[in-house]
Amino acid sequence: MASNKTIKSAIESMMFVWGEPLDIKEIAEIFNMDKKEVYNLCKELQEEYEQEGRGIVIREVNRSFQFTTRRENLGYIERLCTPVRHKRLSQSALEVLAIVAYKQPVTKGEIEAVRGIRCDRVIEGLVKKKLVAEVGRSDAVGRPILYGTTDEFLKQFGFASLKELPAIEDLEGVLTEDDEETGATDSLYMQQISIDLSDK
Amino acid sequence: MSYRVKLNVFEGPFDLLVYLIEHAQMSIYDIKISEITSQYLSYVEKMKNADINVSAEFMVLAAALVEIKSRMLLPRKTTDDGCAELAEDPRTELVEKLVEYKRFKRISEMLACRQEEASMQFEKPQEDLSVYTGEPDEYFNLDIEQFRRAFEQFLVRKRRIEEIREHHKRTEKQRITTEIRMENIKEFFRQSNVDEADFRELIYKRDDKYDVAVTFSSVLEMMKEKRLDASQKYLFGDITVKATEHLFDENTDEGEPDGQQ
Repeated sequence: MASNKTIKSAIESMMFVWGEPLDIKEIAEIFNMDKKEVYNLCKELQEEYEQEGRGIVIREVNRSFQFTTRRENLGYIERLCTPVRHKRLSQSALEVLAIVAYKQPVTKGEIEAVRGIRCDRVIEGLVKKKLVAEVGRSDAVGRPILYGTTDEFLKQFGFASLKELPAIEDLEGVLTEDDEETGATDSLYMQQISIDLSDK
Repeated sequence: MSYRVKLNVFEGPFDLLVYLIEHAQMSIYDIKISEITSQYLSYVEKMKNADINVSAEFMVLAAALVEIKSRMLLPRKTTDDGCAELAEDPRTELVEKLVEYKRFKRISEMLACRQEEASMQFEKPQEDLSVYTGEPDEYFNLDIEQFRRAFEQFLVRKRRIEEIREHHKRTEKQRITTEIRMENIKEFFRQSNVDEADFRELIYKRDDKYDVAVTFSSVLEMMKEKRLDASQKYLFGDITVKATEHLFDENTDEGEPDGQQ
């Protein structure tokens, strides 16, 4: 059995040739190894690149690994050539994407309920960009299409997996103070109501 | 050419409402409905005046706001023992929706940052791997069902092409004109060296009605030009076609026979 060092070296070469994210399942088949072991080796390799501060880093996308350039070197690459960067998404596209990412699998109706406006075109656009895809059908009346995010989404937004999506609570800095208010509901509501009435 | 000016465009009614609430520095949990409703309505009015297509959803929320406003004006039932039972705040449902919307708006901002960061990394697109395999890249990323469908489509297309081809072959044969057939008939008499023939001998393909018809009209045309003579002994009988001395005349131009008559 090959040593971890040679396997890691082989993985490195394979990733170089493959270009696209290389699935650990394929690596595992080649070495006839456990997927978990391969995953750990890939993570080790990723760590090594990271620690040495190499100009190439390894990116994880849904249990696949891929070489990419280091972010810090963006300026130099741009001076060398002008690589095409993904166009920024519109605000509405981002909102729909956020809802799909956190509520998936989700129907169009559910998305529209959150945004209070129709989203057909926006969803269509996201599907075309391969950020969102149909993942099945809901059992609800009419069997509406269920949408979910794709690996392309993980890649473009720099998430190794969906588990990496930050918890909603962590993002709610703006709302937390308000949340405390809801804690002391009853008496507060009373107050609010009386104020409103006196306004009239 | 028309161009669009992007004023303060809101992504939907909730977007507008959240903006107005924040602008007025209100707590989302304590919306002054009366104030917000009038602001909201005047904004929608402004949008209309600016010729922005105000979608129905904006009006739905406007109606909901007016409804909440009117319900807020109704006197509240207070139970005898003070404030034990609280009537539901008419704003609750709206607040819940707005909080949910704000949450996702926040997430969308986070995603925008993430995308910006991630786009600073570049990947090499997968190249043509045939250089490494030594043979053209032949594997398909198809499951059996897709493959079956593709094959069926191929068969259907093939059948259709064959039909079209068949059709074209036929029409091409039908292109034979009386002019060509007349030449054929002259040729027939020239080569067989007879001056009398059965009409059927002049036909190329007996089972082809079109060919029979073309030949027949060619014979008629040549009779008109006095190149041929034809006789039929009895009804439905064989037609004997006889060559006249004018058969091989260069061109019996139309004026001449007319003049002779």
